[in-house]
Amino acid sequence: MIYKTNEYLGYPDRISVPAGETVRFQLSSKRRSVKVEVLRLRCGDVDSNGPGFKYEVMTSPIDGEHACLDQPIRPGSNAVIDHDGALVPTGGHWCFGAYVYPTRIADNARAVMGNWCERSARGYALELDEEGNLVLVLGQASGTPARFALDVKLRPRVWAFVSCALDLARGSASLSMIVPADGVRPAASCSKSFALPRALALESGLPFLIAAHHANGDRQYSSHFDGKIEAPRVFSCSLDAEALRVFDGRQRTGASDAGLVAFWDFSNGISSLSIKDLSPNGLHGCLRQLPRRGVTGFHWSGSVHDWRLSPQEYAAIHFHSDDIYDCEWQTTCTLDVPAHWRSGVYALRLTSGGKNPDRDCESYVTFFVTPGKASRRADLVVVASVATYLAYANSALRLYQVHFETLMEHVLWLPQDDVFMQENPEIGQSTYDCHVDGSGRAYSSWLRPILNMRPRGYWFNLVNDTHILDWLEEKGIAYDLITDVELDREGARALAPYRVMMTPTHPEYYSFNMMNAIMAYQNAGGRHISMGGNAFYWRCGFHPAAPAALEVRRGMAGTRTWESEPGEVHLAGTGEPGSLWRHSGFAPQKLVGVGFSAMINDTCGYYLRTAESEDARVAFIFEGTGRHEKFGDFGFRYNGAVGSEIDRYDLELGTPPHALRIATSEGLGAGALPTPEEFRTVVDGLDGTQNALVRADMVFFETARGGAVFATGSITYGMSLGHNDYDNNISTITLNVVNRFLDPRPFVMPAET
Amino acid sequence: MDHTSDPGALRYVIDPGRLDLVKEFRASPLGVHSPELRKLLARMRWGKPEGRLVLIVLEPGKAWRLSRIPKRRGDPMPFVDDRVFTSLAEAEWHVFKLRWQEMTGTTLPAEFASDL
Repeated sequence: MIYKTNEYLGYPDRISVPAGETVRFQLSSKRRSVKVEVLRLRCGDVDSNGPGFKYEVMTSPIDGEHACLDQPIRPGSNAVIDHDGALVPTGGHWCFGAYVYPTRIADNARAVMGNWCERSARGYALELDEEGNLVLVLGQASGTPARFALDVKLRPRVWAFVSCALDLARGSASLSMIVPADGVRPAASCSKSFALPRALALESGLPFLIAAHHANGDRQYSSHFDGKIEAPRVFSCSLDAEALRVFDGRQRTGASDAGLVAFWDFSNGISSLSIKDLSPNGLHGCLRQLPRRGVTGFHWSGSVHDWRLSPQEYAAIHFHSDDIYDCEWQTTCTLDVPAHWRSGVYALRLTSGGKNPDRDCESYVTFFVTPGKASRRADLVVVASVATYLAYANSALRLYQVHFETLMEHVLWLPQDDVFMQENPEIGQSTYDCHVDGSGRAYSSWLRPILNMRPRGYWFNLVNDTHILDWLEEKGIAYDLITDVELDREGARALAPYRVMMTPTHPEYYSFNMMNAIMAYQNAGGRHISMGGNAFYWRCGFHPAAPAALEVRRGMAGTRTWESEPGEVHLAGTGEPGSLWRHSGFAPQKLVGVGFSAMINDTCGYYLRTAESEDARVAFIFEGTGRHEKFGDFGFRYNGAVGSEIDRYDLELGTPPHALRIATSEGLGAGALPTPEEFRTVVDGLDGTQNALVRADMVFFETARGGAVFATGSITYGMSLGHNDYDNNISTITLNVVNRFLDPRPFVMPAET
Repeated sequence: MDHTSDPGALRYVIDPGRLDLVKEFRASPLGVHSPELRKLLARMRWGKPEGRLVLIVLEPGKAWRLSRIPKRRGDPMPFVDDRVFTSLAEAEWHVFKLRWQEMTGTTLPAEFASDL
C-alpha cells in the first residue's frame, strides 16, 4: 500500500514527558476529524526487508476521534514593539532609518521598519521592493496607499544606510540611501524628495515592526525581510540623512539626545529574544520566530570572532522570511501519560477514522516517554539523540544539496515526505539546509511537524535507532529511555540511577552539559555502550530563550553542507563556539575512545579482531565467537556493520592510553572518504582503499570507580543486530557487553605502565 | 562556493564513443566501478539540483517512481512518467540511459535500449 503520510501533521509541546505528566499535541489537517491512538514503538522501520514495523498499542483517554483544525504555518521572523502610539508621526518632523544588508531581493516587498498594515492600508513603513529599490509606504485617509520609491537599487550583501525624513507640516518627504565605501567601491549616496498627499493615515493602531509588515490586525505578518538589519532609529526632529546615520546611540549619564524617539541596539541581549531601546522612552520589543543574532554587523572589524568579546560589532540581526520556531497551533488533544507506562519511543498514530476510514492515510507524531517520579528504574538506559533528530529535522538535502547524489553514489531515493517538503517549504528545514536567501539554517525546533522523526519517515537517525530498541526487546533486556534533552537540562543527575547507558546509532550533536554529563557518569563508575558512529561530534546548544530549538554554527572545519559566515561561529544562545568538539579540545576519542574518521558512500565493511583483542580484559566480549571471524559482514539496509559514518581510535585526540582497540574495519572501498578535519592538505591516497586511517575501530576501556566504555565506531552497527533472526556475531558480542556491563562487579583500570 | 558545491566544477567530458563504460555500468548498476566509470558517473551526478532526476519511494524497499527536482521551492513535484520501478538497479540503468542521451546528445545503440 502507498501511504499518505502527511494528511495529518502535528507536534508535541514537549519532546519528552515523564510518565505521570502531561503532553499536549497540536495537530492540523484539511480533514475535520482525526482518530488518535498511542503506540509504543519497538521498531519504527516499515521496510519489509528488515525486522518489520513493531509496536504496542497503548490504551489511554486520548484514544478516539478528535475535532481537527486546518492550521497554517506562517514562517518569517521579525521584531514587534508595542508603543501606544509613541511611534506614530504627529505633526512636524519624523526621521527614521537603519543599516540594512539584504540577502535576498526577489518576489515581493521586504519590510525594513514601520507600523504598516496591508489589510487596512494604514500606517507607514520603509521597505525594499522586489527590485531592491527603497520605498516609503504611507497610508491615506482615503484611496490607495501612497508609495514613493528611490530609483536606485540596493545590492544584495552590501551594507547600506536607508532612511526617510517626513516633514508633515510642509507636506514633504525625502528618501535616502548611503552606501559606505567598501573594498574598491567608493562611498555613494543618493536621495530624493517628494510632495506628500494631504490626508495621511499613519496610525495603523498596531505595534511597530522591524523586518515585516502587518498582514492584518491579527498578529499575522507579511513582507518579511531577508537579511541583516542594524541599529534602527527614529527621531521626531529634522535631521539630514548623514546626521541620522552618524548619530551616536551610546548612552551617557545625565545626557539625552533631542528628538530621539527610539534607538534599538541589537548588540544588547544577543542571547535573548528581547530588543532594547536605548532612548528614554523604553520602547523595548521582542523577536518572534527566532531570527539569528550574534551575526556580524556593519561595524565588524574582523578582530574578534566571538560576539561576547565585542557585542557592538555584532549589533545586527539576520532575519529570514522562512525562519520558523513555533507554529503556534492550537492544541488538539492532551495526553496525561499514565504513571505505569514504560519509558520509550512513543508515537501518536493519526488516521482518518469514521465509518469508512481511508486505510492508506496514516501519519505519526513522535514523542518520548521518560521514567516518572514513581517509575521503577531499569539498570540500563538508552539515551535517544533528540539533538541529532532536531539537527536533521526535515532535512531537504536530497532536494537541494548540489553534491548529494555524488555523495550517495546512486540516484537519490526521496520518500514522499520530501515531495511534501518541496511543495510546502513553510514547514522549515534542517540545520543541514539553507534558508531561501542561501544562508545556512542555524536553528531547528520541535514546535513544528518533523517529517523524518516518525515511523514511515526517512530512516536515518530515529528509525535506525529503533533497531537497537528492537534488539533489546528481542533479547529481553530491561531498559529505560531518556533523551539527551534530559542530559542537557539535568546533567549527570539524569544518568545517576543507571548502571549502564547506551547511546544509539548517531549521537552526533552534543551540548556542553550533555558531554560533561556523560564524562561525569563514566568517571563515577557508569558503563557506557556507544553503539553508533560520528558520535559526539558537533558542539551545539539549545537556545536558552527558545528552549525547543537547537542552535548550530558551522565553524572551523568538519563535514558540513554549509559554512558559517566569517565571524559568525559562536552560538547566539550560549556564546560557545559552534564547531566540532575536536576543536574545543574534547574530541569524541576523549569521551568514548573513538571519533569521526570517514563517511562511507559506497559499500559497507565489517570488523576483524586485532591482536589486542586477545587481552584477558576483553575476553568476555568475544565469548561464543571465533578468533578470525568477520564480524558484521551482513546487515539490513547497509549490508555491513561498518558503514555510513565511522569513527577511529587516536591517542593524540584523547583515546585513553589503556583503551584496547579490539577490532578494526576491513573491506572499505574508494567511496570511503575521510572527514576534512582529518587532513591538512589534499593529496592522493586519502580514500579507504589506500588510507589506513579511514577505518572504524571497536574499543573498550575501563574507567574510574569500576566503570567501562565500549564503542563500536559505526552508524550501521545497529542495523546488523537483527540479521539471521538476531542470531549473528554482532548480536553475540553486543549481548556479551550488555550482560557484563549490567553485572555489578567493578571493572578495574590496569595499572599504568 | 567551494569545490564540492560548485555546480560547474567538474571537467570530465563524457565521450559518446565509450560504450565499454555503458556496458560496464549495465552489468552492475549498483556495484563497484572502474576508475574511469566512476569519473563518468560523478559527472552525471554532479551539478545543480534543479531538474535532477530522482526516485520517489512509493513503498520502502519495493517500489519507486521517477520525478525531477523543480526549479523553485514550493512548486509542485509531478512524476516524470507512469513507470513504477520494482528494482533499484533497473531504475539506475534507466536514469543512466536518459542522462547519457541528455548529456552526450546521442542515442545509445539498440543493444543497450532494453531493460536489464
